Amino acid sequence: MTEMTALIGIVEASFSRPMPIDTNPASMLWLLPLVASIAVVYKATKVRAIEPRAFAKDCVILFGSIMVFIIVAALILYLVAWVVAEQLPKIFG
Amino acid sequence: MTPSWKDNHALFLIIVGLLAWLVPGAGHFALNQRRRAAVICVMILLTFLVGLYVGSVGVIDPVGAKPWYAAQVMNSPVVVLLGRISTAGDYPVYARPNEIGQIYTSIAGLLNLLCIVNAIYLAHLQGVEGTDD
Repeated sequence: MTEMTALIGIVEASFSRPMPIDTNPASMLWLLPLVASIAVVYKATKVRAIEPRAFAKDCVILFGSIMVFIIVAALILYLVAWVVAEQLPKIFG
Repeated sequence: MTPSWKDNHALFLIIVGLLAWLVPGAGHFALNQRRRAAVICVMILLTFLVGLYVGSVGVIDPVGAKPWYAAQVMNSPVVVLLGRISTAGDYPVYARPNEIGQIYTSIAGLLNLLCIVNAIYLAHLQGVEGTDD
């Protein structure tokens, strides 16, 4: 009974206080599990039948595609920000 | 007067949609798509729980973050209960954990919306194929 109460207390405490996450580039890694989840659920609704090997392969391909697209989008945005913030002021004095 | 096939079919679609909303994956389970249902249930619950763990119950905010809440409610009606608990209690949430928690729980809700629509579509196909035979 005491163990059960302690377990409930631990679960309640886990979901009642936020995790300490700093605002730094490493926090962007939280993107990875979310993209994995999106890839798996999306593929689960699209494939005709779920066969473990083929399904895993499809999910990995979709996960990779999303990541490549995000990285390309991030690079383009970084390039635009660099041009606007550093190059344009030099050109226009 | 007996209800027409279309009435029964519409009721069937509504029930499948409601089941899929009540428990993620339950709509597909009702259509005998056990593997699909298991994958959907595990992934959506996991994504939602990770969001709650990262940001606390405070990320479900029916008062101050209504657009996020609208997406979160798509997970299950249980989110309404969590929203009441969050509003009544003192669950501090701020900065990056708040952002990540809201994004995870809302994306989980939107993914479940996709699954609800998919379950209804599959139920419709089953109904149409059943009557065509």
